[in-house]
Amino acid sequence: MTIDKKHLLTDVEVAKFIVTGYHMLELDLPNGTNESIAQQLDTLESNPGDAITDTVPELNQVLDHPATKGVLASLLGNDYIVQSHRHWHCKQPNSGHMQWHQDSVNRRDTNINRFLGLYYPTDITPDMGPTIIVPGTQFRNAPTDRMATYTNIRGQVPVVVKAGTIAFTHYDLWHGTAANRSPAKRHMIKFLFGRNTPNTAPTWNHDPDALNAPRDWNKKDKAEDANNILTFANPIGVSQSDHYKERQIRRQCWNELMGQTA
Amino acid sequence: MSQPDPATQPRQRLLYLHARTPSVFSEILGYTPIEPLKDFRPEIIATDLDWPYKTVHDAIIDGWQIVQFPYLQAPFDDRDLDVVGYEFILQKMEVVSQ
Repeated sequence: MTIDKKHLLTDVEVAKFIVTGYHMLELDLPNGTNESIAQQLDTLESNPGDAITDTVPELNQVLDHPATKGVLASLLGNDYIVQSHRHWHCKQPNSGHMQWHQDSVNRRDTNINRFLGLYYPTDITPDMGPTIIVPGTQFRNAPTDRMATYTNIRGQVPVVVKAGTIAFTHYDLWHGTAANRSPAKRHMIKFLFGRNTPNTAPTWNHDPDALNAPRDWNKKDKAEDANNILTFANPIGVSQSDHYKERQIRRQCWNELMGQTA
Repeated sequence: MSQPDPATQPRQRLLYLHARTPSVFSEILGYTPIEPLKDFRPEIIATDLDWPYKTVHDAIIDGWQIVQFPYLQAPFDDRDLDVVGYEFILQKMEVVSQ
């Protein structure tokens, strides 16, 4: 697969994905593409499931965009897999919020072997029932039942984005939605991506000195280099015990991506 | 004999607070109020969070009573991460009207 190097992620972006479990990408699709996709979705009468890309073929432009490919190759290897599963999520006007959950069962993946791409063909405003994610929760092994007593969580991030944005989210990231109190349908197409082979070397724009920045105790979670991001970032302010465990998992994850444990 | 109007009687308000540590002085990471009102449901929101308390202790000062403390037994495997924070459940008995 040919990947344009200029679209590969940087060390900082990879470190931030490992820490937060998400990466937002605003695609410059050809003029009118987002609008055309949204119009077609607005008039769909039933959900075609995995066939949504057959029903709305322009959605393939999201998958084929060089910037999308750059993110996928950076995080899943050059032979990444675009799974056949995809789904149109239409949040109707006046529909309520959706409680926090992790998808699937409690076998959580502390490596980066699969994640979702959530594509939004329209601008998403706070009143449209945006997806809401909790950064850094992707390494937690928490049965969804145990999340039932949580409502709002400090540091949660509403995916309030411009039309044409694809949010890449770790498969195990805690997520829910706000209520849609707008008169508009809120569309999102979910894609699923996977890893084919373990890395033997970094597949992003890697600088061999990326982890050589000295630890800066003054900047802590405001750091802007990979080493300090992996060490200090604490997006929702969890306890010291949890933070130390997160650090270990992050380093393991980074080393896997570097191909050092393959 | 007629029953008293529930709206005029003290009823149980609940507050689930997820604190950073088991200390009542640690910062709150999660906030879920439950009001004793028909059809009341707390909601995940997409706007800025504006909580009246920063800690469980702040809530105690405001008259809330802890009815359940967090479960503190350490996990068998100390490498695992599970839920966010430590859950305190608090109550306040008050007359609450719609």
